[in-house]
Amino acid sequence: MNIYVKLAYTLLGFFLVLNWGLLMSATLRKIVARVAGRHGIPFYQPWIDLLKNIGVRTTLSHGFMFYLGPVFRFTGAVGMFLFMPALFGSDMWSNFSFEGDIVLILYFQLFGMLGMAIGAGEGGHPHSAIGIARGLAQHAAIEIPMTLGIISLAIQYHTLSFTDIVAAQQGGIANWTIFTNPIAGVTLLLAALGAMGHSPFNLVKAPNEIPIGPPTEYHGTYLGVLMSSGVVLHVMEAALFMNLLFGGATNWVEFIIKTFLINFYSVFVGVVFPRFKIEQSVVWFFKVPMALGILAILIYSF
Amino acid sequence: MVSPIYIVAAALGVGFAIGVLGKLGKNFSGILTLLTLGFMTYVSSEWLYAFYFGDQVSTYVFTAGYKPPISINLLMGPQEAFMSTLINVIGLLGGIYLFFNFGRKGRNAFVVYLVFIMSLNVVIMTRDLFNLFVFLEISSIATAGLILIEKGNRAVGAGFKYIIATSIISSILLIGTIFAYFYTGSLNIDDLVKSDLTTTTGGLIAVFLILIAAILEMKPFPANGWGLDVYEGSHQGFSAVVSAATATASYFMLYKLLDIAGNSWDHYIAVIGAVTFIGANLLGVKQKFARRLLAYSSIGQLGLLMLILGLRTYLGDNLNYVVFGILLTNLLAKTGFFWLVGIVKAKTLKEWAIIRRKPFFLFLMGTFVFALIGFPPFPSFFAKWTFVMDLAANGGFVWIAVILTGSFLEAIYYFRWFGYAVKADDNYNFSFNVRWHKITPIILLTALLYIIGYLTAQHTELGRMINFIPLFFVLILFALDFLPVFIKNTIAIIGMGIYFYFIYPSLSDLKLLFEVIFMIGGILTLIAGYAYKGKRSGFYPVAILMYAGLTGLIEANTTLQFFFGWELMTAGSYFLIIRGKRSMPHALSYMLFSVAGAYAILAGISIANIGQLTTSLSIFNNIQYFPQWAYGLLLFGFLTKTASVGIHIWLPGAHGEAESDVSPMVSAILLKAGVYGVILALIGMSKSQYDLSSLTYILGWVGALTVLFGNISAVFQEDAKRLLAYSSIGQLGYIVFAFAIMTQLGWLTGFTYVINHFMYKAVLFLTIGAVVLRVGTHNMYEMGGLIKRMPLAFVAVLIGITSLSGVPPLSGFTGKWLFYNAVIEKGWYFQGVIVFLSGGVAFLYLFRLIQTIFLGQLKDNHRNVKEISIWFLIPIYTLLAGLMVFSARPQWVLQPLGDMIANYMPQNSIRWDGAYAYTAIGHWTGSGVMMTIGSVFLIVFLILKLSTRKAHKIKQFDIVYSGERPDRPDTTHVAYNMYAGFYKAVWPLTVPLAERFWNWMTELVHEAAGFTRRIYSGNGQAYMLHIVLYIIVLFFITIGSSI
Amino acid sequence: MEYLNLGKISLLIGFILIIIGFWGILSQKNIIKIIVSFTILDTGINILIVSLGYIKGRTAPIIDASVPQLADHNVLNSIVDPVPQALVLTAIVIGFGVTALLLAYAMKLFKAKRTLEINQFNDLKW
Repeated sequence: MNIYVKLAYTLLGFFLVLNWGLLMSATLRKIVARVAGRHGIPFYQPWIDLLKNIGVRTTLSHGFMFYLGPVFRFTGAVGMFLFMPALFGSDMWSNFSFEGDIVLILYFQLFGMLGMAIGAGEGGHPHSAIGIARGLAQHAAIEIPMTLGIISLAIQYHTLSFTDIVAAQQGGIANWTIFTNPIAGVTLLLAALGAMGHSPFNLVKAPNEIPIGPPTEYHGTYLGVLMSSGVVLHVMEAALFMNLLFGGATNWVEFIIKTFLINFYSVFVGVVFPRFKIEQSVVWFFKVPMALGILAILIYSF
Repeated sequence: MVSPIYIVAAALGVGFAIGVLGKLGKNFSGILTLLTLGFMTYVSSEWLYAFYFGDQVSTYVFTAGYKPPISINLLMGPQEAFMSTLINVIGLLGGIYLFFNFGRKGRNAFVVYLVFIMSLNVVIMTRDLFNLFVFLEISSIATAGLILIEKGNRAVGAGFKYIIATSIISSILLIGTIFAYFYTGSLNIDDLVKSDLTTTTGGLIAVFLILIAAILEMKPFPANGWGLDVYEGSHQGFSAVVSAATATASYFMLYKLLDIAGNSWDHYIAVIGAVTFIGANLLGVKQKFARRLLAYSSIGQLGLLMLILGLRTYLGDNLNYVVFGILLTNLLAKTGFFWLVGIVKAKTLKEWAIIRRKPFFLFLMGTFVFALIGFPPFPSFFAKWTFVMDLAANGGFVWIAVILTGSFLEAIYYFRWFGYAVKADDNYNFSFNVRWHKITPIILLTALLYIIGYLTAQHTELGRMINFIPLFFVLILFALDFLPVFIKNTIAIIGMGIYFYFIYPSLSDLKLLFEVIFMIGGILTLIAGYAYKGKRSGFYPVAILMYAGLTGLIEANTTLQFFFGWELMTAGSYFLIIRGKRSMPHALSYMLFSVAGAYAILAGISIANIGQLTTSLSIFNNIQYFPQWAYGLLLFGFLTKTASVGIHIWLPGAHGEAESDVSPMVSAILLKAGVYGVILALIGMSKSQYDLSSLTYILGWVGALTVLFGNISAVFQEDAKRLLAYSSIGQLGYIVFAFAIMTQLGWLTGFTYVINHFMYKAVLFLTIGAVVLRVGTHNMYEMGGLIKRMPLAFVAVLIGITSLSGVPPLSGFTGKWLFYNAVIEKGWYFQGVIVFLSGGVAFLYLFRLIQTIFLGQLKDNHRNVKEISIWFLIPIYTLLAGLMVFSARPQWVLQPLGDMIANYMPQNSIRWDGAYAYTAIGHWTGSGVMMTIGSVFLIVFLILKLSTRKAHKIKQFDIVYSGERPDRPDTTHVAYNMYAGFYKAVWPLTVPLAERFWNWMTELVHEAAGFTRRIYSGNGQAYMLHIVLYIIVLFFITIGSSI
Repeated sequence: MEYLNLGKISLLIGFILIIIGFWGILSQKNIIKIIVSFTILDTGINILIVSLGYIKGRTAPIIDASVPQLADHNVLNSIVDPVPQALVLTAIVIGFGVTALLLAYAMKLFKAKRTLEINQFNDLKW
């Protein structure tokens, strides 16, 4: 396929994902609000926020790295999209997944995180540093079930390639990893709770009480870029687990439904359980998720 | 040829003459004495020369016109010539050193000294047992007299204990002699050897009495309190002579007399020697006083000599080589040391800090310490090597363990002492003066030590192959130490460059890779040295010493060359490390782990050497006996340098406290020496016909746990350099783990990490080191916001940590991707998970590093600091360029590496298709990812740039801060105890078990020493009792059952 | 009484003296007494040497009137072994020298601390 056509499709795909992400985040916020007995925002609120933020020109900067933070973050989000095939079996929507496998995604997740962390750090606000410190600690803990689960999958399918893993799950719901390898599936789903960053694992941003976390000092265009990266990342995180556990997606409708449900799952858990302190969440990953993950490998070791 | 009888005649004649011609002045008597000693030296050395360079045969000298057994005869053979030359040389130098001390006591002191040296000569040469007794007594009496040239009660007490103890020992010898005569009718040792004295009960007792006396003269532990007191109590000028000359004579007496018993006593002598060697050195560990420490060490060396003698059947023809090596080193270095003690006059070890007021003296002391511990290029190094090799070849593994344990104990106290000398606080108000007649003999000894070391190496075929050129370069740098840093740095860089240029064509593959890391890395880190002002005294010789050792490792074709290089590297790096301000304890623990590791390597090589026809390094590939032990010991030795978990405790302090440009040398470069060793051992294991997978399995776990431990510990450091040091532990864990996988992918991972770690750790240590030089603190919470002041340093650290963390597209990810494939292919899932999860932990410390130093709040006292020095930036950015190339085009390096590894690991599990890499399970392209991410980044950047024109920079405190405006950066900078929450979760993993274990071990050794040394109560009568009990116990052990 | 000849008796006395000497050295606290014990030990050894060279019925190896002059001038069968005799002379001289030195030391020790108790001189220990 011509590289320009490919690029065009990729851009289109990104546009789709961005919009779906905005819609999804509005929907999920509304769900959370209703659970809490509030009315919630209108579904178009994120578009308004985004346009407003982008429309407001930022005139303040803490320095060069502060400025690069959102760039890193957005590149990270785009990369997550690029290196994962959006739809299975479609050459047009496979993006740039030929450039790397799951390992690339696992580590590329951190690209945006690290850049953002450093950018926010230059702002000099203590809350940024505190939020990042928490985020990194929690991330290190999430690595445990995540790695264990993915290795279990790699043993099961003898591959680390997304396309191959999704291909192996085709042909009916019974072939999905969540059913063929349930222990690893559950392990990864528990890891997903942490990766999605909803309650009980949202101390990193502590969004409701005080402004804390990396974006504390960002505003205007910067905040808009951060916000759009955020929603794309939400979709792509869900897409990651969709590809690994739920047979991937062969068309956009399936993609939308599955990513929504996976996100909904994490929000659902979030509205039920209160927030963990950071040491609690770290220790939590050392317990059941780690035990399950070890089990998921043990069953393939014998 | 002058007959050796003139040694006796001249000494006696001059002695009488001085006595009779009482009117001669003291100085004239002294000069006459020295001339006589010179003559004696001439006679014995003439014989020595004739034996070694002519075809002189051993000659008997008969006295009184009769042949033995009627008369006394002397024997002058090569060994006698050697020993008496040693004694006379030391006697002459000692005479010079003590010239004025004797003079103060009057001319008779000269006479006694002359008789003393003469009597030792006779003890060496005589073949008559009774004559031996007589001259032994004469030497004892003379010794007791000479002890009194030292003033004070201590010398008197020591002398009394000495004379009464030696008298008892002589009595025993006399009784034995007369019994031997009774049974054989001869006093001639050759006759006694020929007669089967040991066949009768009476003869057995006679032999026992003779030998026990000879053994007691060697001051065996624990019946040696009197000997210790002499070394400690008498004038140090004279202690030196006792330690050197008397010990030589005693050794040779035992050597001569041992033949009477045939081989039946060898075993006992070995055990006695072993107990003495270990016992004395153990007690030395607890010692605080310099003089007594040397006493313990002297006795330890006597034990070692006994041990060697007892093990002579293992050594065969090499006995003399080993004995000469050990004896010579001990003689030269110990004598020099005693004389140094006599000059410096500091009582406790800590007070020795004053020695560095005169750096040349520090150099002398260092020479002696390293010679005594058996470092190259000193004779003891080669002797110890031969000794251990021969022992292993004949199955004497227990003895190897004994020797190495004793030597290790010795290393503990010598390096502690040396550490005090180099680094302890020098706030004493006493000083020391040097007079030419005292320092000249020491300088002579030191020169001899180096020359003889070189000659010892040339003496054997293996030793001749060693390349001494780098060492000469080191000596030249020592000589040029007075020059300013700029010139010396240039000389060092040019020297290394030229050397690399000439060595480059002869290297390939593995050797080339490591040589590039060592040499190019060395040159780059040396460039940073231009940032220093002044002379930087002593830095260049030791830095080049380390690089000489490193290149020696690479060039090594034989095991001896390898070990030679290894020890040079250890010595050089020790000196580099101890240069740090607070490095004293860390340098000590580095050295002790290094010495222990080196001994493990030595033992491993000795086992590998069994049954080999070649001495080439290729014996690692074909270890025939006990391969598990051989490889295990080798790996253990190499792992001490890579600081694997459990034996890592030296690293954080050593690297953390080192100077700014030393840290990258010892971290990015030096640690690779251990890796090189591990690779050599693993190559050998891959070619071995034995199944050694259990060993690599253990190695894998060690590596994985090291990663976890290193990374978690790094997270909780407040000191930036310690953080990096712990990070190095973790990184080396990755490398060890990767190589332990023993597949092509695993090794490719390993090499990727080796290259990466070299580059990013050098960048990080150089940058942080340079920052530390600017801000004057290691503590990260005292820094902050430095991005505003040193943006170039910030960019370097940013790239460094991104690369280290493994985030695409930089080269760290190459390692991570290969790791996943290698681990899954191998099936080491759990180890792999530990490793990957530790990768997540690494983010914590990496972020902490950049956040707390460069981001956050700039401190008030740093508002005017400058960008880091240009001399640091040059190597940093050179390395960064390398890092970027490796990131963008990994295939340039990895493809040839893969082909090289295929020589060792045949499975071809990675396929390259241009920039695309494929394994059985995964695929990835470094260039593609780099390009994609780069383009996206650029596009986003440009878009954002366009939309935020005219953004103006705001001030430091203009931040949203709960409605307040902070005005103190210190309270607003999140740095101290940054990961408190994480700590609450993972603290059980940070418990310093290894430190506690080693502290406990240290405590144990000290307590054992403290308890045991109470037998030396100071009471002369108790010492007598020790001797008697020793005789009784030994009687029952040796011949009690056969009577 | 054939069993206990002169040689055996002196041998026994020599041994007894040696043991007394050792006992004295190990048990006496006074330095002078220790030195005396040492000379007893020395004497014991000397007696031992002489007695080991003793042959019954022969005379001292001094060629004078007491030695029967045989035709072939062979005196070897009428005197005891001369070597131990020579040794003992040397040993006595050595013993003399050592004793002298010990006594000199005793003086110095007494000057140093005004006592002759050996357990007072333990400045050097451990």
